Formats: sequence, structure tokens, C-alpha cells
Amino acid sequence: MSSILEEIETQIAGLKTSTTKSNIGVVREAGDGVARVEGLSDVMLNEMIEFPGGQFGLALNLEETEVGVILLGDPTKVAEGDEVKTTGRLLQVPVGKALLGRVVNTLGQPIDNKGPIHTDSFYPVETIAPGIIKRRPVSQPVQTGIMAIDAMIPIGRGQRELIIGDRATGKTTIAVDTIISQARLNKAAEEGRIKDHRPLYCIYVAVGQKNSNVARILAVLEKQGAMPYTTIVSAPASDSATNQYLAPFAGASIGEWFMNNGMDALIIYDDLSKHAVAYRQVSLVLKRPSGREAYPGDVFYLHSRLLERSARVSEEAGGGSLTGLPIIETQAGDVSAYIPTNVISITDGQIYLEGDLFFQGVRPAISVGLSVSRVGSAAQIKAIKQVAGKVKLDLAQFRELAAFAQFGSDLDAATKARLDRGQRIVELFKQVQYNPISVEEQVAVLWAMQNGFLDQVPVDRVKEYQLKLQDFLSTRKEALLTEIRTKKALDKDLEAELANALNEFKTSWQ
Amino acid sequence: MKISKEIRQAARDFVRASFVDGVLDRGKVQSIVRSIIEKKPRNYIQLLENYRRLLRLELAKHRATIESATKLDSGLSKEIVSGLERKYGSGLTTDFVINPGLLGGVRVRVGSDVWDSSVRNRLERLQQQL
Repeated sequence: MSSILEEIETQIAGLKTSTTKSNIGVVREAGDGVARVEGLSDVMLNEMIEFPGGQFGLALNLEETEVGVILLGDPTKVAEGDEVKTTGRLLQVPVGKALLGRVVNTLGQPIDNKGPIHTDSFYPVETIAPGIIKRRPVSQPVQTGIMAIDAMIPIGRGQRELIIGDRATGKTTIAVDTIISQARLNKAAEEGRIKDHRPLYCIYVAVGQKNSNVARILAVLEKQGAMPYTTIVSAPASDSATNQYLAPFAGASIGEWFMNNGMDALIIYDDLSKHAVAYRQVSLVLKRPSGREAYPGDVFYLHSRLLERSARVSEEAGGGSLTGLPIIETQAGDVSAYIPTNVISITDGQIYLEGDLFFQGVRPAISVGLSVSRVGSAAQIKAIKQVAGKVKLDLAQFRELAAFAQFGSDLDAATKARLDRGQRIVELFKQVQYNPISVEEQVAVLWAMQNGFLDQVPVDRVKEYQLKLQDFLSTRKEALLTEIRTKKALDKDLEAELANALNEFKTSWQ
Repeated sequence: MKISKEIRQAARDFVRASFVDGVLDRGKVQSIVRSIIEKKPRNYIQLLENYRRLLRLELAKHRATIESATKLDSGLSKEIVSGLERKYGSGLTTDFVINPGLLGGVRVRVGSDVWDSSVRNRLERLQQQL
């Protein structure tokens, strides 16, 4: 008994002594944002390493006699011979609602001149994705407000949907539209206009983007009133490759806080092509062996572990979700390149944007044939399913017939009707940027199209008809729209009411 | 400069051969160096440099540097050395250094482990906490 007491006493005495044990090393080589350190015999993988002057690095390569450390701060301040020490900590970022409305860098430090961020929660940048038991299937929609996506390639909360396309085909615009749509829904729910709405918070991660682009997106989001529900994590092209490599992981941690606290979040990685390039740079400077296109062997794991963190978790685990919208830029439409195929195989579907369509004026330039959503249809509300079920097929048939009809002008009535219908659908799906359409308006417009109300409208006036119809419904038939929104399905009564409203509109439309 | 796999392996083997029962054998080191210089295998300068580096790192693992603000009396130094040998095994080479910059207390470094009870360290920690 007395020996136990003595042991406790010595332990208490040990606590009182102020001797600290640390594990140190010496910088042997520094350059290109990487330091090679000798010593550090107790270092752990991904551990933060403290440099003199309060700088930090991450131990990425543990070798026989050296440790490869990537530098998080100013690499010019690290010199040969500097004494560094292990910290026993992993890289963390601040998380919580305090980050909404802010622009932060990779380390979660504000860069928007709006003062410090007050939060007491921190999440490690690298975490393990939720396991099988914690997850549940996707069943709630993310209303992007883009009719072509909500009708044909629906996205559910917790899904990973890739946005892929050449440069300047409107990839970021789709992402920004989605953010604006969420902000409008969140605001409407706060004002009591929508019942039972789970707010969806957005995180936009800019990797390797031009600073001017990030500033433009910030200005758009502020103008549209979306910033109160959005965090921007910015690692622009002028940032070090280390910061660009870590930014998506930091963004995912900020999103995970919402998921783990029973809320829903949406994260946009813009874009993962540049992220892969930044990681390639880090890996090559660390002298890791290179593989195809000089990317390191673990570039697939880099993206798979990042995107696996998007999930919808069960009620026991809080019931939150993190939806991922990664963006990939292709070169000359080549989807079979290394990084695009990797990310296509990881995600639950892709929205493929085509340059040709874009220049024909079909914007958003979504290629219906190549775009899919593998899980999102389970998340569509019934009303959309009722009106949009056949749209994808109609459009596919239209494209086939349109190519065929170019050779001859003699067409039978059925083919002509199909072509006319197809042309009108294409027109309906054209949508100007930053102008999301609410789901009930989408239902009404698509129902009108399915039931032949647009057949008499000339193709070049379909857009005008649609806009006026939306205007008419939102100003004169608000009760009908509200009913569609609350019932979430079209029954006989609603269809009759819709038909009446459309007939009424027809008389005024010229 | 990139060092080939063969040279790295050879240097490692030479380092292993330089130790007898965990203690560096001066004679062996001299004979290894002499034989490399005589035989002049391919890239022998690189081999020697790499051998020297590995030897330096290996020796640093068994070197204890004891820094103190003032000169330690012999009783205390003996106590520290015996304590270190209990922890790290025999065969430690010890250097006693007087470093007035520590202000007070002792700082012991063995390999890459540092035990710091100096006043300066305490002040630095206090500064960080504040």
C-alpha cells in the first residue's frame, strides 16, 4: 500500500518539476518550401514541427537519417543550421459558425480585414472519413436552382458530384449559382417563408486561382447576399504549393464541423486539377518517386481520402451531411487524362460541360449524354420526378434525331413533334448566371412543357414565355407555388389548378 | 548531389562494421578509411563523405551535451552522467559546456532528445503562454 502512495507522490513531484523534454533536429537544407532536417528521432508522420521565430512545418517524409518537412509560413526565414523541435500536434484549423461570412487562408487565419475570428473549436486538417456504420443513404436534395441540374442530374445532400469541363465553360458559375440558391433558401427559411428547411452552409475552396477571380466571386456572393452563409478558403496562385495542397483539407475540416454538429454543408473544391499540380510539386521537391505524368503514386489516395470525407451521417451521429462539388478542368475536352479519370471514378457522378454547347449559347453548357448522377435521383422531390422523369430521354432522342434530320427535310409528324419538343426543352434549360430558379417554379415550367402549353410558342420566344410565366406565377399565383412547395408532389387538384393558371396566363401572353 | 543506392548501402555496412559491442572502434575506422583510399572503388569520395556523415549521426546519438549556467561541481556532474547512463546505456561520451545564456539550471542533450530545466526555457514558455 505504502509503495503505491510513494509512487503517486513521486508522480506529483514529477509534475511540479519544470523540466521539459523535447525532440530536436537541425535544418541541413532548405529551399523550394521544403526543409530537410537531421535528428528528430521521435517525429511522427504529419506532425507539426516548430521552427525558430514561431514558424511551423509538417513532417511528410520520414527517412533513415533525415526528415522532409514542408513549410507553412515564409520559407525564406528558415536557414541552414536552425534548431527545430517536434510539437506532438497535428495541423489544426479553427471551425464553427464564426467562420461564416469570412475569407480565410489555409490555416484558417482571416484575410478579409474583418478582424479576428472568435472560435474555441479546432479540427485537425487530416481526419479519417466517417465509416460504414455512421453513414446513411442520400435522400435529401440540394436545390442548385439550375433547372437542367435539378431536373436531370439531381444532387443529394452528402453526395460528391464532379463538375468537369474545359477552361471557360462555366464550371465555377454552376458552383456560385448553387451557393446563391442555398443562401436564398436559407434566408427564406429564416424569414419563415419555407417550413422544415434544413439550412445548407457553403464553403468555397479556391486552389491555385487568380486573386482577381476570388475577389470577383467574393463580390458576387456579397452582392447576392450569400456571404452570411458562406466561408471562402483561399489558397491563390501566389500561395506556396504547401498551402495549395492543404487548402481543400482545411475546407473539408470546416465543413465537417457542420456535419458533426447535425447541420448540412456544401463544399466546393475549385479546382482539384490545380490541387494535384500543387501536390505534384511538393512531392517532387520532397524527392518522392514520380509516376504517370510525374504525379506521385498516391495522387489517387490524395483525392479519394479528401472526397470520402463528404458523407451523410446517421441520426445517432447527428444526422448532418457534407456535400462535395469538386471541379476539374480538362484540356481540350480530354476526360480520359489521369486526374479527370481518377476523380470521375471517386465521385458519385459528374456534370460535364462542353465548350461547343457554350459557344452555341446553351448556358449552362451541360452535356446531357455525358452527365450522370448516381445517387441523386433518390433525393429528388416527387413533384420534380413527376415532371422531369422523361426529360433526359426526350433530350437524348432529340439530339439523335436532330443530327439525322439535318440530311432531309421530309419528316413524319411524330419525328417533327419530337424535334419541336426537344428544341423547346433546350431553350427552357438555358439560364442566365446568378439567377437560380426555385423548385416550385421549375415544377410549374416543366409541367407546362410536358403538357404541351409551350408547343404553340415559337422556339425563339420560349425563354421570354418562361420568364413571363415565372413572373406571373410568383406575383399572381403565389398560393399555388406555396402549395407545390409544401405538398412536394402534384396531385389531380394541383394539376387542375396549374392548368387553369396556365390558361389564364395564355390569354395575357402575346 | 544524388547518392546511389550502392554507395548508401556500402556506407551503412561500413558504419556497422566500425562498432564493436556498441562502442566505436577507432582502429577499425582508420583501417576502413585507409582501405577505401587504397582500393579507390567507384565514387569513393562520395562513399567516404557518406560514411563520415553516417558516423557523425551515429556518434551524435551517443553524445551527451550538458549545458549549465555555471560550472557544476563534480558530485552533481557524476550524478547526471550516471542518470543518463541508466537511461541511455553505457558508452555515452559527455561534454560539459558552460552557457551563461541559460541564466540558471541545466540543459541536457542526448542525440535528438533535449531535457531542459533552464531558467531561459521556463521564461520562454511563460512568454508563449502569455
